[in-house]
Amino acid sequence: MAELRRWQHRRAPGEPVSAETRESYYGLPVIHGPHWRWPIVFYFVLGGLAGGSAVLAAAARLVGGRWARSVVRIGRYLAFLAVLPGPLLLIVDLGRPERFHHMLRVVKLRSPMSVGVWGLVGFTASAFLNALWQAAEDGLLGRRGVVRCIRRLPDRGLAAMSLLPAFFLAGYTGVLLGATAVPLWARNALRLGPLFLCSALSSAAAALSLLVGSGPDVQRVRRALERVEQVALVGELALLEAVQRGSGDVVGRPITVGLEGRAYAGARASAGLALGLHLLARVVPRRCRTVLRVLAALVAFGGAFLLRAAMVFGGRCSAEDPRATFVMTRGERH
Amino acid sequence: MNSESTLVGRTRARPGAFGFLTDTTLCIGCKACEVACKQWNQLPMDDFGFTGMSYDNTGDLGATTWRHVAFIERVADRQGRRPTRLQPFQSHWLMLSDVCKHCVNAGCMEACPTGAIIRTEFDTVVIQQDVCNGCGYCVPACPFGVPALSPLDGKAHKCTLCYDRLKDGLEPACSKACPTDAIQFGPVHALMDRAKARVAELQAQGVDARIYGDEALGGTGGIGGLNAFFILTAPPEVYNLPAAPELPQRRVLPAFLTTALAALVLGVATLLSFWRTKEVRHG
Ligand code: SF4
Ligand code: SF4
Repeated sequence: MAELRRWQHRRAPGEPVSAETRESYYGLPVIHGPHWRWPIVFYFVLGGLAGGSAVLAAAARLVGGRWARSVVRIGRYLAFLAVLPGPLLLIVDLGRPERFHHMLRVVKLRSPMSVGVWGLVGFTASAFLNALWQAAEDGLLGRRGVVRCIRRLPDRGLAAMSLLPAFFLAGYTGVLLGATAVPLWARNALRLGPLFLCSALSSAAAALSLLVGSGPDVQRVRRALERVEQVALVGELALLEAVQRGSGDVVGRPITVGLEGRAYAGARASAGLALGLHLLARVVPRRCRTVLRVLAALVAFGGAFLLRAAMVFGGRCSAEDPRATFVMTRGERH
Repeated sequence: MNSESTLVGRTRARPGAFGFLTDTTLCIGCKACEVACKQWNQLPMDDFGFTGMSYDNTGDLGATTWRHVAFIERVADRQGRRPTRLQPFQSHWLMLSDVCKHCVNAGCMEACPTGAIIRTEFDTVVIQQDVCNGCGYCVPACPFGVPALSPLDGKAHKCTLCYDRLKDGLEPACSKACPTDAIQFGPVHALMDRAKARVAELQAQGVDARIYGDEALGGTGGIGGLNAFFILTAPPEVYNLPAAPELPQRRVLPAFLTTALAALVLGVATLLSFWRTKEVRHG
């Protein structure tokens, strides 16, 4: 209970009360902000990584041929491992963690939190099956009868089946934020889903290109991943720009100034830098290429993290700002 | 499209819906409603302290504060104009007893992933405490900043419109306690008719009165009206109320569609890149 009530840290020092009452109610927030903090940021990052990896693994399995098998294998394992902490992070975040299963008593299509939970369940199941098949194929599970049964599952079918939940998991978090009264999120409701998708795919491609290691076809694999990463990075840059511009001065304040603003700028710089490094890698001598590509992957991954942090914590700031809420809810008459 | 005038005084409340009419012109700022609410609902005291900004030492609606009397001192604007006909030596206070609006289409209820928030037989919006798991999604989903997570039990709380009292045929504690009948309880449509008559009466006296909670003001953007609504004498922002809020869930389908479009584009790009990437011969 030691938390400060909101009015206790509301006023800029030295500002008279009368100044605040002209534009708002003593500078107090109109709406209540979310309580989300780091667990949710990490969940968003890992969910994006898991979804993106599953998409890449599925695409590589469906159209890639033998050479792309390393992407299939590592992508499937990564998708499953990355999604595992997700439910735990969400449960830790609840006010009553022991009641987490209450989420499973209803399906509400208009609640992104509800469909999100079901999407997470579906994704986890499909990632588990894909990883299980892969483990059986790789001989990690031995050669007993059950394993032979697992291997009889249709591999391509599993891959195709995982595409929908994978895209869902990577993108729904943007819709989740957009369907609130928080000005920064509400203003960007249509952009956040695509933005998170792009960032999910670029970070997953970056992670996979670091993990595929060295095989006979590694150059070709890297090249394919790089293409995906570049498309995603271009989309991410465009959307980051659109979010900033579309928010305007007042609503966009949290992603312009302060720590969150710096994180947002960092996300933008990372996406640009990763793209630049990839282009640079094409012209420099071969020896330097690997270094540049590893660097680009690390930068892209860091950018995905900064983006989630800026959006989650920026939303908290946005909810605190009565002016931003009033800009969003002014209507025509007032 | 509806023209503005047909929306004034209109609400999509169900015929049998119950709600509050809070007439701010009658409020004397005694906070009896706050006290009665705390007492009946056995809500613990908030941190005791002075806000130092007005007679409002409550500050805000919260997990343990379900009525909140706002005190607004109308000061001169930057050009020195006073928003009142009173003399400069007289101060000018507006008082409003804020509460959950029990929206006709409630953002909190649509957001809740556990189905803890329900619409009762009185058409009020109630959080079932034995179901809520404290996910906190209803908190930012409310366009009016009403529900809050309690640090005491980790669950979300807000006004129940005294569901237990309504069950026994009693009126809610706040409206019962209000000494001036600024808070009136009853069927929403009857209250709305009363509010329209009252606003007309005030306007005839030259007061800039308006209803907050019809489809023209406050109950906008798919919310469809507020079952707990208000008579205001200044723009809603002055009372810390949004003029034209939107039901957040109206954005769910469009947002999923743009996300699906992006997924389609990225999916095709990914498939193409694994399909078309040729063997690299020269590194
Ligand atoms: S005012 Fe907020 S908490 Fe009350 S019913 Fe409407 S959305 Fe729910
Ligand atoms: S905090 Fe409780 S009432 Fe609010 S959305 Fe979550 S489960 Fe529903």
